[in-house]
Amino acid sequence: MTGGSRREFLRQLMAAAAMAMPLRGASAVPGAPALHGLTPKGRVITGGFADPDMAVGHALRDATLPRAGRAPRRRTRVAIVGGGVSGLSAGWHLDALGERDWLLLELSAEPGGNSRAGENAITRYPWGAHYLPLPAPDAVHVRQLLREVGVLHADGSFDERTLCHTPQERLWQHGQWHEGLEPLDAAPAWERAEWERFDAQVAAWRETGAFRVPMAGAPFDTPTALNATRALDGITGEAWLSANGYRSPTLRWWLEYGTRDDYGASLSQVSAWAAAHYFAGRPADEDGPLTWPEGNAFLVQHLARKAGDRVITSAPTVAIEASGSRWLVHTPRAVVECDVVIWAAPLFVLPRVLSGATPPVTTEYAPWVVANVTLDRRPRERGAVLAWDNVIYGSRSLGYVSATHQSLAQPRDETVWTWYHAVVDRPALEARRWLELRPWTEWRDEILADLHRAHPDIAECVSRVDVWRWGHAMARPVPGLLRRTQALSEWRPAPRVVLAHADLSGLSIFEEAQWQGVRAATDAARLLGGA
Amino acid sequence: MNAALFATVCLIAACGLIYELVAGALASYVLGDSITQFSTVIGTYLFAMGIGSWLSRFIVRGVVSRFVMIELIVGVVGGFSALLLFLVFTWTSAFRPVLYGVVSLIGILVGLEIPLLMRILKDRFSFKDVVANVLTFDYVGALGASLLFPLFLVPRLGLVRSALAFGLVNVLVALWSTYLFRDELPQRRGLQFASLFAALLLGAGLWKGQTITTLAEEGLYADPVILARDTRYQRIVLTSWKDDLRLYLNGHLQFASRDEYRYHEALVHPGLAALPKAAKVLVLGGGDGLAVREILKHPGVEDITLVDLDEGMTELFTSHARLTPLNDGALSDPRVRVINADAFVWLDQHTGTFDFIVIDFPDPSNYHVGKLYTSAFYRLVRQHLASDGFIAVQSTSPLFARQSFWSIVATLQGAGLRTYPYHVYVPSFGEWGFVIAGTVPYQPPHTLPDGLRYLTVAGVPALFDFPADMQPVPAEPNRLNNQVLVRYYEREWAAINR
Repeated sequence: MTGGSRREFLRQLMAAAAMAMPLRGASAVPGAPALHGLTPKGRVITGGFADPDMAVGHALRDATLPRAGRAPRRRTRVAIVGGGVSGLSAGWHLDALGERDWLLLELSAEPGGNSRAGENAITRYPWGAHYLPLPAPDAVHVRQLLREVGVLHADGSFDERTLCHTPQERLWQHGQWHEGLEPLDAAPAWERAEWERFDAQVAAWRETGAFRVPMAGAPFDTPTALNATRALDGITGEAWLSANGYRSPTLRWWLEYGTRDDYGASLSQVSAWAAAHYFAGRPADEDGPLTWPEGNAFLVQHLARKAGDRVITSAPTVAIEASGSRWLVHTPRAVVECDVVIWAAPLFVLPRVLSGATPPVTTEYAPWVVANVTLDRRPRERGAVLAWDNVIYGSRSLGYVSATHQSLAQPRDETVWTWYHAVVDRPALEARRWLELRPWTEWRDEILADLHRAHPDIAECVSRVDVWRWGHAMARPVPGLLRRTQALSEWRPAPRVVLAHADLSGLSIFEEAQWQGVRAATDAARLLGGA
Repeated sequence: MNAALFATVCLIAACGLIYELVAGALASYVLGDSITQFSTVIGTYLFAMGIGSWLSRFIVRGVVSRFVMIELIVGVVGGFSALLLFLVFTWTSAFRPVLYGVVSLIGILVGLEIPLLMRILKDRFSFKDVVANVLTFDYVGALGASLLFPLFLVPRLGLVRSALAFGLVNVLVALWSTYLFRDELPQRRGLQFASLFAALLLGAGLWKGQTITTLAEEGLYADPVILARDTRYQRIVLTSWKDDLRLYLNGHLQFASRDEYRYHEALVHPGLAALPKAAKVLVLGGGDGLAVREILKHPGVEDITLVDLDEGMTELFTSHARLTPLNDGALSDPRVRVINADAFVWLDQHTGTFDFIVIDFPDPSNYHVGKLYTSAFYRLVRQHLASDGFIAVQSTSPLFARQSFWSIVATLQGAGLRTYPYHVYVPSFGEWGFVIAGTVPYQPPHTLPDGLRYLTVAGVPALFDFPADMQPVPAEPNRLNNQVLVRYYEREWAAINR
């Protein structure tokens, strides 16, 4: 028996075993074991909703939050509203400009926004954004931050431990896991030809120089480059694919996976320009991304530590009112008097707290669900071994990321998987109502049924499922993105109120949020200098 | 009827002999010294048979039902004997008492069988025919069993399943006897139920449980398995053939006691003997204590820290009677501190430097072990290396996995270390490679400690010469985010593994 044939024999044996496994649970629905929180062996799966802010958000919307009564007024030069990446980056850059007199007001109990994280006895794990692509050489602020946290070395290399370890990705298709995300294993020649055609298209887009990260790096003032791509922004990704004769189901699936993953938008929702940006905005080959067990919380916690006690948490801003030439920012905990306000919260909230500040354009927000699934043993596997990002072909979800992947230690039985799901199958407003009403048990069952496709014994491995509902997770880049971005960049809601949020870019990625924060800090410093 | 009766005798005899052979073989496997084991097992067994024969006089009434009952008990006890003995050996230290207890019990029961059967048959045949036929078929059965055992049972079924299969035969004989002697057994329902239950039990034993893994292992490994233990991290299997012990971790050979001295002397002395002032030594992996045994030959070494993930491994090699002679009890030496921790995490969380660091991990056959061969890992190791110290890394075979070997060299260089690759021939492994690495130049030693079996002062420099078929090939450094080494390794070993 040769080595190959012995391995082949074992593989067949495992395949036969795996095929025999689901029979027991196959009587009813796929994934039936989890239907009542009890597996066939009587295991109880605990958990619940972990999102703390939904009630505060609704109270803000309904204007039922109190103002601080006799709380002392705090005076500062700049009040930053919102402690996500853009707000923290605004404070970070104010410090860099020598302006240390600022306060940051955060609605939640902890800062971080979409980049928050949780922790249990096994590991830290992300509740949202969980990686950062390697920055281009001209992404100076991202690189500066990475130097600060020791991830970017003086010689220009990135910390090996922080680069996503191998194996990075795997895809469940045709009954087993395959290395990599491209579903090409059984694709016929004509589909492969479309993939090659698309690759060439991406290379051509990249050549234009119009797709930059952050977007502001693009030569908007040299219109030739941008105008060449501007037509893409008039149609959806779906329309562009149809118009250009792309029919391959595997290619379409892969493209939509990308737009759901980065933008919370399906191909029929996303602007073709934004979709092109996703592929053409990054170099073709890179060693990244950078990732941490807690996701991008690693970065925001660094920013929050630097900010120290200038970050005031559990302080939702309920009103911003003029007081002479200064502003009063009201929260239930404190009133902050300042010269300049940096608005680093979602744009749709602004008109509720600052009268008359209605944005010139509306923004559609994508709802998301992120779940952290605690496993006390590893499920049986078939095919490629567990990777960082694990995607199930054809699933409504985006698959899961192993939170212990970056651990230096040899693997243990227990782990946490972060399961991502962008809700794209219904209108956003309806989806948010559905998120609010849908009980946790249904999420638990949906998540287990989803994982069950690739892991027949998943219900016997999971001990907890914690679910975070993001009603307004991110601005969705629907067609007209460039026009909206332009309109927002020219909009001034009020004197000495500066905007800073990824909503302004329309692409909810770390680099955009940071760029908007840095730019707002620069504007605020200029206003102060002029005052 | 007659043929059926004497077939019964034949089978009973065969079963009895199989249990005896199983016990003898098993004792030889796990304890070694097969002459002593077989002699004592056969002696005990025959003596116990004598006791059984003597006891048979006390059975006066219900001889037939007693006979069937004894068949049943022999079937169950004999059938599970091998499984029981393996478990006892693996998990307790009371192997010998249990061995002789089980052998005695089976002997007594088998000793009861023939006298009782003769008494049952005495009314059907003349005395001379009974004696002649019973004893004839008894010896025929014994011949059959003794030929079947080495030629078919052990190679095909293994010890555990052989015993279970013959236990099943014994129980089926009992069931059959309830039919043969139906006239003398008016109330045989109970016996039949008991027989069926015993048959089910043995059948289940044949299909399930330890049997399968043990069998799988006996099929996988060339030699009899004497110990198999699942620790939290790996499966440890020890096999024995004559005086050669072999240790496998997750199916990969770690050493063969016959020639491991070549490997361990080469791993330790070229580096350590070049550091006459070395006092503090760190060993990463190497839970078998064999590298530590070599390090302890250097009188200047005051302090050895061994970091191995698996406490199951270090415990076995600290206390197991067959294993501690291999490392001369090195892990119990007062200069040695054993830490059960993940090497990468331990290095990351501790400070302190060492004059000499031995890295003796399993080959990089998967991404998890591959992490321990990355530039990130070697950079961390370097932080724990005294400024004039050396690292010695086991680096797989430069002949069979040439690109893997040179990838490890490139990785060490990528971590800012000077490298001095060398190789040695270990018969059970083939050509094997190591790398000495450090931040200062290395010179082969002028002296070696006493008591070496392989290395000579003149021979050490020769190890650093690579013949044409092992010379450097282009290879990428191994990084956490590419793990090229695992890919090289898989490809290269897949090409030659049979």
